[in-house]
Order: sequence, then C-alpha cells, then structure tokens
Amino acid sequence: MSDASPNTARPVSRSLHHVDARTKRRNAAETRFKALGIGAIAVGITFLVILLSTIFMNGASAFEQSFLRVPVHLDAAKLDKKGNRDPADLKKATTFTYAPLIQQGLLDAVQKAGIETPLTKSGDMKNLISSSAAAQLRDRVLANPDLVGQTVTAEILASSRVDGYLKGRVKRDQVAQDKNISVEQLDLADALLKAGILHKSFNWDFIFGADASDSRAEQAGIGIAMLGSFYMMLVVLVLSLPIGVAASIYLEEFAPKNRFTDLIEVNISNLAAVPSIVFGILGLAIFIQFAHLPQSAPLVGGLVLTLMTLPTIIISTRAALKAVPPSIRDAALGVGASKMQAVFHHVLPLAMPGILTGTIIGLAQALGETAPLLLIGMVGFIATNTPDGFWDGFVSPNSAMPAQIYEWAKRADPAFYERAWGGIIILLVFLLGMNIIAVVLRRKFERRW
Amino acid sequence: MEVLWIGALLAALALGGFLAGRFRALKAAGGDTRVLHSVPNYSGTLVALSAALPAFALSILLAAFGVAPAVLWGATILAGVIGFALSLRLIGRDFRARNAVEAVIKGLLIAAASLAILTTLGIVLSLVFNTIEFFRLYPLTKFFFGTEWTPSFGGGSELGILPLLWGTLYISFVALAVAVPIGLFAAIYLSEYASRTVRGAVKPLLEVLAGIPTIVYGLFALLTVGPFLLSIFGPKGPTAAFADGGWMHAGTAVMTAGLVMGIMLIPFVSSLSDDIINAVPQALRDGSYGLGATKSETIRQVVMPAALPGIVGAILLAASRAIGETMIVVLGAGAAARLSLNPFDAMTTVTAKIVSQLTGDADFASPEALVAFSLGMTLFVVTLGLNIFALYIVRKYREQYE
Amino acid sequence: MNDMSFTERAVANTETKITARGVQVYYGENHAIKDVDVDILDKTVTAFIGPSGCGKSTFLRCLNRMNDTIDIARIEGEILLDGEDIYDKRVDPVQLRAKVGMVFQKPNPFPKSIYDNVAYGPKIHGLTRSRAELEEVVESALRKAALWNEVKDRLHAPGTGLSGGQQQRLCIARAIATSPEVLLMDEPCSALDPIATAQVEELIDELRANFSVVIVTHSMQQAARVSQKTAFFHLGHLVEYDDTDKIFTNPSDPRTESYITGRIG
Repeated sequence: MSDASPNTARPVSRSLHHVDARTKRRNAAETRFKALGIGAIAVGITFLVILLSTIFMNGASAFEQSFLRVPVHLDAAKLDKKGNRDPADLKKATTFTYAPLIQQGLLDAVQKAGIETPLTKSGDMKNLISSSAAAQLRDRVLANPDLVGQTVTAEILASSRVDGYLKGRVKRDQVAQDKNISVEQLDLADALLKAGILHKSFNWDFIFGADASDSRAEQAGIGIAMLGSFYMMLVVLVLSLPIGVAASIYLEEFAPKNRFTDLIEVNISNLAAVPSIVFGILGLAIFIQFAHLPQSAPLVGGLVLTLMTLPTIIISTRAALKAVPPSIRDAALGVGASKMQAVFHHVLPLAMPGILTGTIIGLAQALGETAPLLLIGMVGFIATNTPDGFWDGFVSPNSAMPAQIYEWAKRADPAFYERAWGGIIILLVFLLGMNIIAVVLRRKFERRW
Repeated sequence: MEVLWIGALLAALALGGFLAGRFRALKAAGGDTRVLHSVPNYSGTLVALSAALPAFALSILLAAFGVAPAVLWGATILAGVIGFALSLRLIGRDFRARNAVEAVIKGLLIAAASLAILTTLGIVLSLVFNTIEFFRLYPLTKFFFGTEWTPSFGGGSELGILPLLWGTLYISFVALAVAVPIGLFAAIYLSEYASRTVRGAVKPLLEVLAGIPTIVYGLFALLTVGPFLLSIFGPKGPTAAFADGGWMHAGTAVMTAGLVMGIMLIPFVSSLSDDIINAVPQALRDGSYGLGATKSETIRQVVMPAALPGIVGAILLAASRAIGETMIVVLGAGAAARLSLNPFDAMTTVTAKIVSQLTGDADFASPEALVAFSLGMTLFVVTLGLNIFALYIVRKYREQYE
Repeated sequence: MNDMSFTERAVANTETKITARGVQVYYGENHAIKDVDVDILDKTVTAFIGPSGCGKSTFLRCLNRMNDTIDIARIEGEILLDGEDIYDKRVDPVQLRAKVGMVFQKPNPFPKSIYDNVAYGPKIHGLTRSRAELEEVVESALRKAALWNEVKDRLHAPGTGLSGGQQQRLCIARAIATSPEVLLMDEPCSALDPIATAQVEELIDELRANFSVVIVTHSMQQAARVSQKTAFFHLGHLVEYDDTDKIFTNPSDPRTESYITGRIG
C-alpha cells in the first residue's frame, strides 16, 4: 500500500479483527436508529391498544342494564274507572296514573323483603325507577286489558342513576348535589341488589331499541339509527356498485387518451381527497335546497355517501380490471366477440371478486362517515320512529349509527357516554365483519396470473 | 309512492319494448335467425333501452325541478312512447341491433364516468353561489382579514376567518408533529429492517388505525384524551405549579384534537412513505453498503434524500387530511374562536364552524349560515391546491425511478 | 478466439490478498456455490467468467459480505483477507467493506452531486480531518478514475446527470475514495456502450497498480483484455483457475474449453 493512497490519513495496516472506535460509534448510532424505528411502531401499536381497550372498557357496560323485578298491582279502580276493560277507556289512564302504582309496588317489595330504610313513602321510590317504566307498563296493559286488576311481576327499568351506581359511574360522594338521587336511595339500591330485586341483565333494547330523550339515558338504544344506516348503505350499494363499475369499465377498457378522459381522471383522484364535510355541503345545497329532497332522510344520506365513496370504488375496480391479463381479452376478440362482449362476458366476471372487495371496503368507509350527515340534518333530534314499511325507511327522517353516537356524545348527561362507547362497539363489529368478508373474498378468489 | 309507480311504468315500458323488439326481429328473420345481423335479444334490448332510458332521465330531471305530478306523468309516458316507437321502426333483417345496443351502453358508461366531473361541478356550484350570496351580505375583506369570530343570529356578527384558519393550522401542525415522525420511522423500520413476518403482522395492525371511523377518534378525544391531558396540564395537575392555575382549562384544546388527529394520521403517513421508500431502487442501497455504510447511514444519507420529494408529497397529503378533518375537531377542539399561542387553549377550526353554522335552526339566507359556504369554499380551495401539488410531486417522483 | 488480443500480462505480484477455502453458499434450499478454493493475488486483475447463473457474482459478493444483506443467504467455509477470516465474529462487515470496495453492474450514482458521491465514503468512514483534505481525496479519486478532466468544472452538478460511462467511472471513483485494498467489480461494463466500455477497461488496467481487482464478466474478450488471472465457474463449481493466457489458449479442463469455444454458456 505504499503509493496507493497518498491522500488519506488512514493507517496502512489495520486488523479486521479489531473493531475500531469509530466503527463502534457508528454501530451504536445504527442501534439507536433502529430503536427509533421499533419505538415508532411500538408507539403506534400502543395507541391502537389504548384506543381499543378504552372503547371496550367504557362501552361494554352499555350491553348490560339494571332492572327491578317488581310485583305491580294494577289497581282496577284507578286504571279502569268504568270497569268494562274497553281499550278506548283504558287509554285515558296516562303514565301519571301508572307511575304511582309502580312506586307502590316497589315500596311493597322493599318492605316485604324486610329491608331497613328511612325511605318509607312510595314517592321516595321515584328516583330508583326509570321515567319510561310507566309508559312501558301502560303499553303492556293496553295490549292485554285483562291484566287490569291483577298483580303482575314486571321487569321495571331502573333509573339511569341507579344503573350508573351499579356500573360504578355514579359515586356515593358525588350525589350530594344531585337532585335525581340521594345517598339513602343508593343504600336502598345496595339492599335491593342483595335481595335480588335489583339485577342486571343483557340489554337487548340497547341494540334494537330507539333513542330516548335527554332525561332517560337508561332507555336509549341504537336500533333505529342502525336501520337508518342500513337504508343508507342500501342506497350506496345500489348506486355506487353499478355506477362505479360502469365508470371503471369505460376508463379502463374504452376511454381514448384525450383531454376529456384526463379531465375525468383528475376529477376522480381529487374527489378521493376532498374533505368529507364538503360532500355534506354539496348534499345540503343540491339535494335539499335545490332538489327539495326530504331533510334527515337516509335517501339523501345515501346519495351523499355514494358520491363520496365512488372515487374509492372506481380506483379499486380499475385495479381489479387491470389485473385481468390482456390475453383473456384477446382470446374473446379472437373468437369474434365484440369489445363490449369481451369485457362483459369475460373480463368483468374475472374481476368481480376484486370489485366486490373494493366495494365492501368502500361501504365500510361510508358506514363510519359522520361529518356529511351532520349537514343534511341526520342529528339533533331523537330518532325514535320505526319507518312505516320498506319505502318509508328511505324518506322518513332518521339518524345513522355514527350520527347517533355523535348525538349521544353531545348530550349533557354522562350516562349517554356509555351508550356512545357501546354504539362504537356495535359500529366496529359491523366494520370488522365487512372487512373480514372482504379479506375472505380476496383470499378465496385470489388468482395468480 | 310516486317513485314506485313511475318505476313500475318504466319497467313495463322496458319489458314491452323488449318483447316487441324481439318479436319484430324474429318476424323479419322469417323463422331463420341466422339471416339476422344480430341475435333477436339485441333487438329487444335496444327497444327496451330506447323506451325506458330517456323517459327515466326525463322523470328524474323533472322531479328534481319539482314539477306537478300530472306533468311528470305525462312527460314520462310521452318520452317512453316516442322512444318505443322510433326504435321499433328501425328493427329489421339487416339492422345492426348489437352495435346500436353497444353504442347505448357505451353512452351509459361514459355518463357514469362523467359523474365525477358532475360531482366536482356540483361542489363548486353549491359553494360558489352561496359564497357570492354571502359576500353580498358581508364584506369580503372583513371575512378574509377579520380577526374576530363572533356570530350572533340576532345580527351584528363579526365573521373573520383568521381565528378559524389559525386554529385549523395549529391543530394540523400538532397532528403532523405527532404523525410524521412516528409514521415515517415506522415506515423506515418496516421497509428496511423488519423481516417478512414482522412486516406482515405490524402493517395490518397499524392499518386498523386508519380503518377506525373519525367519530370514534372524536369521542376518544372528548372523553379520554381531553380529561387525561387536563389531569396533567390543568389547574389540579402536577404542572399547575409552573403556571398560575395551569395551562389547560378544559378538556377540549388544540393539543387534544391535534394529538388524536396525529394518531389517526400515523397509518396514512406510514403506508404512503412505505410505498415511496420501497420505490427507491435497491441498487442505491447496494452502492452504499458496498462502500461500507451501515444501514442507518444508508437510510439517512442515500435512501431518504432519494425519497424526499415523495415523502414531502405524502406529508402534504396528510396535511390536507388534517385540515379537512371534521369530527375530531368538532368534539375535541372546542368551540371558541381564539388567536392564541397556547396549545392547551380551546380553539376552533374551519370545519367545526361549518358544522356549527349549518346545524342550528339558522335561516339559510342569513350571513351567519351563508358564511359556512365561504368557509367550505376556502377549505375546498386549500385542500384541492394541496392535493394537486402533492399528487404532482409524487407523480414526478415515481417517474424518476420508472 | 483469434480476435483476442492479450495485453502484457506478466503477473507482477505473487503476494496473495484473498484466500478462499471450501466456500459453500446456500440461498435457502439452493446450493449456489459448491466448495470453492481460490487465491486472489494483490495488484492483479482477476476475472471470474462462466455462464449465467454459474455463481460467479454470488462468490464475488461473498468477498465483501454483501450477501449479508440477503436474509436467506448462508455461507460456509473460510475466506481470508491478508490472513484474517472475514467471516470471523469479530469482523464488522462495515469495516470490511471499506477495505473491499465494490462496483456494480448498473451504474448507481446516488442522487447527489458528483462531489458528494465521491465524498460519501470518506465522510462515513471519517477518513479525512478537514474540508481541504476531503477535497484532495475527492480530486485524487476522480483523477484515478480518469474522470477528473470531464467533471472538474461541475463537481456540484448531480451525478445522475452524467452519461452512462461517466456514471460508472464515478462509481469507481466513489469506491476508490475510501482507499480500499481490493476492488470488486460485478460486470461493470454490461450496461455501457463500446466506447465507454473501452474507457472503463483501460481504467481497470491502471487500477491494477494500486489495488487487487476482481472482475466478474460475461464477456470472454473482456476477461482476456483486462485480466492476468481467470477463474472459470460452472454450476457453482470453480472449474479452473489459472493465468489468463493459459485459460484462453490451453485450458486443462474440457468444460473450460467448451465454454471458451462457445459450446456451453
């Protein structure tokens, strides 16, 4: 190495078996850099774990609800003054008539169970019982007038404070200023729990029931909003699949290279990145203000979400079409099929699994979208009405799952937060299901050309 | 119900058309269909399409303009019958029904593809008209340069966009400060270091974060992250000693929304960067390893500079996402428009105000409601500009290595 | 084979630089290199020839442990550089590669300026103490790579803007700049036109004065033109290793003869 490198300061002879200090430093830097990468991934996954466990821990309790098993004496003297069990007359007894009966029934049960409590008046029981209990009992009686005069054992919805107390949301030291519950009533709830009168059971009403007003968190369910989402998804599916496939076929198979095609391409790639709230503005201005479609209707929501989802579906459909090798087209054209026949008879069926996968993923995206729904009025009211028949479902005002969750998140009573988290669990179960279907479809029909 | 009956009418027209067209073709063939140019079904389809399609389009158009039901019915039936009659006359032995049907279908395909243009047009029109309307009621300069945002439906509102833009940019900045380093380093690790198994397991896990709807992140910000930050930086937290009464006064704040939005954007940044890093040719890495560079030296000094334009594009796309994000800021950022430097203050954004101005019981003709369209216009222009610029950069970058 | 012109090829140096004994390479299940023994001399150009897939590039990449970057590659046997086992646990491949430089098939300049391309190696290995010294190293490397006169006025222009032949010489300059002792070249001319190839070949002959050069080539003519020693690989075996003249005029193995006369390959 005498004349090899006159300009470098490197010592002439170095043993490879000795790692020099600089290399050690460089390797340490290497380790640090790698650790940063691992750290970043760890942070990302930690966030995911925190997010999912937060959802689960806060939302799981929404699937359980506290009930009071109370024998209620349906006093004929109060409910049916004429005594003829005529449904029309029975309807005259309002919930104000039923509420004291339930309270009395609970008081009787308390006394019968031998629970010692300073609460001895039937009015003291009021805060333990959901204000919707009376209406539920009334509906039961109206459906079956023969019950009047009997003593029926009813599963009475406990009030949201009692429910929260059992679930640990309402704490004893917080109730001092709370006019909706007192410490004595909480003591009584403990005793009722021990006596088996107060109990928790699975909350089917949360999954299938309707939303309830601000003061009745214990009764709120996501069922109606789920219907709203269902109708919207139906609209999205029926419109976006054919339109998306048609647009993709044109762009991938027929479109000449010209400025019009370029214009479409640019529009699609940009629409894919337009904020969703802007689609909400579009829906409000075009569908509601201009075309006078009904506000808050799943039909309008579905139209807006269709426009929003189309770019996604078009992009994945084109990828699926592109994946079909040209030899298939050539083969079809070779036996005398027209270009249109080649595409519809041969290319499209082969691309179908890919198209469906993309569509399902697009639908999943649409299902979770909230912002545009806010602008077309799918929030801000209590979604309680089951649509009258299939067609009415599209046009009568409704909410949607994410909009319902938003609605609950905005309400003042923290009891609704549990419902919001629970709603998220249901929403995520749907999304998970859709994604699993998409993955299965892809696996099952995956083709290697 | 009107819709159902119109639908039934159209279906009947189509079915009748199909049968009539087919019958006429068969008759022209005189029993031997081989003499026909096209199979009879194509003749049927052509008549069906000619009868139903124009009628369908017309009925939608008329319904959108809200004409009286009688007019709607009359026009639809008329259009259907004309289409039916005209197309049926064409059917004959040498008539190229297949070509005609294919031309119609091609027209439909073009129409479907053009919907993208119509959508953009719809967005632009709905924004432009209402924005013009707004500027008729409220001075343009006050909107763009006003530092006060105090809408009141009784009148006398100050509707300056600057505090909203400031909140939007501040929150987006916090979000990117979280998402870019984490997403980028995750992408680097996944594409340069991770084994196939680790990559196969971690990538989908991170992408779950991208699949979670934004309402979930919004709730997470409002109910979990906000209270958590408040417990640290609020008046009762350990940091209260540094500042009188703590830096943070409510759970909703720039930091809350920014942090959560950052989490949401991690997979966005990482998967885009991953693609871009993978596009850097292996030859460059080999060249660097061949000179005795370590992996991290290669990444920092060769791969990253080579990938830089693409990564800048990815970050711009993420920024556009952050600026347009709605649910997280509606729930997590607060409602007060404020020009403040404190990241623990509640601020609000353009998107949050679009929602609040359009979801009240506002009169749509009032400046307080119309301002939402100007905000939407601003948002649309800004995000569109960012997207076009970012896509341009990314495309240039890809061409470089193709 | 009459068109082959043999350069003056007295093997000036008989000092062994690299010794390989019983080298086996596996790519997963595939046994790519089978029991190769070879002694590579200092200040000599050694050519590896053989048909595609014979393992010559794989073996070359063993000499500076570039195969380490491939997960599924596994190497057995012993490779000594100046008597030291380069697969010893104590050896850091990073240090090794500074001593054993490499030039690749396709010119792969970094997307940086010409100057930064050449300065990259010295910078990461910390070979220079000052800016002036670094500039000297860059100039010297570019001169040795016979590129200095063409680029001295645009050192800060991007390296990717050069022509193919210039790019490859830039890559050689980049490798020289770390003052390696061995220079490995993996088909360095396969992506170049004939004129650029002639320039690079001329350069390789000059490099022999300072380095031990190992070149993998597809072209027998090229091997004959530039090398003093030639190794013929076939199906993972080192079939024959001898003076280049001998290999091309009087090979001892029938397989070598078949290859150089064009019957296999």
